[in-house]
Amino acid sequence: MTIDPQSHIPVYLQIVDGLRHAIVRGVYRAGDVLPSVRELSLKLKVNPNTVLRAYEALESDKVIEKRRGSGMYVAMGGLKAAREQSAEAVLESLDEVAVQARAADMKPQGVMKHFAQAMFKVFSKEPKS
Amino acid sequence: MNESNEAVIEFLGVRKRFGTQEAVRELSLRIPRGCVYALLGPNGAGKSTTIKMAMGSLRRDAGSIRILGREVCDDPSWVKQRVGFVGELQFIYRWMRIAEVIRFCSSFYPTWNATLCQELVRRFELDPRKKVRHLSKGMTVKLGLLLAIAHEPEVLILDEPTSGLDPLMREDFVDGILRNMCDGRRSILFASHTLQDVQRLADRVGILVDGELLVDRPIDELLRTTKTIRAVLTDEKSPRRTPHGAIVESVDRREWSVTVSDFSAGQVEQVRSQNRVESIDAVNMNLEEIFKAYVRGRRNVA
Repeated sequence: MTIDPQSHIPVYLQIVDGLRHAIVRGVYRAGDVLPSVRELSLKLKVNPNTVLRAYEALESDKVIEKRRGSGMYVAMGGLKAAREQSAEAVLESLDEVAVQARAADMKPQGVMKHFAQAMFKVFSKEPKS
Repeated sequence: MNESNEAVIEFLGVRKRFGTQEAVRELSLRIPRGCVYALLGPNGAGKSTTIKMAMGSLRRDAGSIRILGREVCDDPSWVKQRVGFVGELQFIYRWMRIAEVIRFCSSFYPTWNATLCQELVRRFELDPRKKVRHLSKGMTVKLGLLLAIAHEPEVLILDEPTSGLDPLMREDFVDGILRNMCDGRRSILFASHTLQDVQRLADRVGILVDGELLVDRPIDELLRTTKTIRAVLTDEKSPRRTPHGAIVESVDRREWSVTVSDFSAGQVEQVRSQNRVESIDAVNMNLEEIFKAYVRGRRNVA
């Protein structure tokens, strides 16, 4: 995970997003311990208060949980929660694309056709399980 | 951040005038325990003046400044024992060797932590036998930080500490602050133009322009709620109704941009319903853009 200190996105939201992705990708699994606030603060070179804020947000979203005296862990339903929230973020970015398409004076049918093709290309590459 | 709401640094109605120029006007500002506060402002905005007054090295014309509950002018030595300071220009004893400077400075502080000092010498890769005048700018700033924090102050005040440093030196400096000063109990006030460092370190941001504090709020809130509404005007010559909360606006051909401080969808609707526009959207802004918007907005009005 890296932080872009010049982004318009507040650093704590970048951390929330980065950890959520890490959980969805399987870097951390349910029950795994997360880095301590201090560790992550020194690794990302950001204020520990900001890391704490990110952890609090993920905790209230049920992605991670605090265990008495021993830090933060990925919650049992953490992967599911993280997936749902990542999906929400993806859908929100589609809303943004719709706005941009309108600003670019594009035809909805054309955009949808292109998107359907892009989806098909990406998903058909997926190895069958 | 610590839950207690105790102000560690508090400015109340502070004013400073140089001749006819008002350098600082009615500045009120409180920094709670555990908070890292970044003070931004263009050159000559009054940042250094503010910091000098907080350090008790410059007299003010009105108002009070309290650090850890004590008026800085009443008891300067009590305050100095508890505050660490790194300035823009380091006037450290240039003819001395690093080991001598450290011995000399340590003698002023009963709370000097020799173990911490040794660790910092090692971590910052300072050679104790080297003379100060032979140090690079980056090493001088690191030595300055060491001397400011080895007595474990409750408050750290920094004036443009990382300006002119290369990215690696800046990272070492930020790391030194995170390791030693960010434990939830100590508070930091730092003036800076290096906005990447501000975004990494600050909990709260103040924007000072021409002696006036225009912004004083949590950095996340500032980034989330400041946006620019961009509208394409049907006719660029027709009069425009600016929405409330506008910081600065500009017209470039038919594009009208209005930056607002507390963005809401209602403002977009207001612009749409009160003006003849062809299209309208809102864009996010990073810290640098927000900073420039406030400076320009203030200077257009003045």
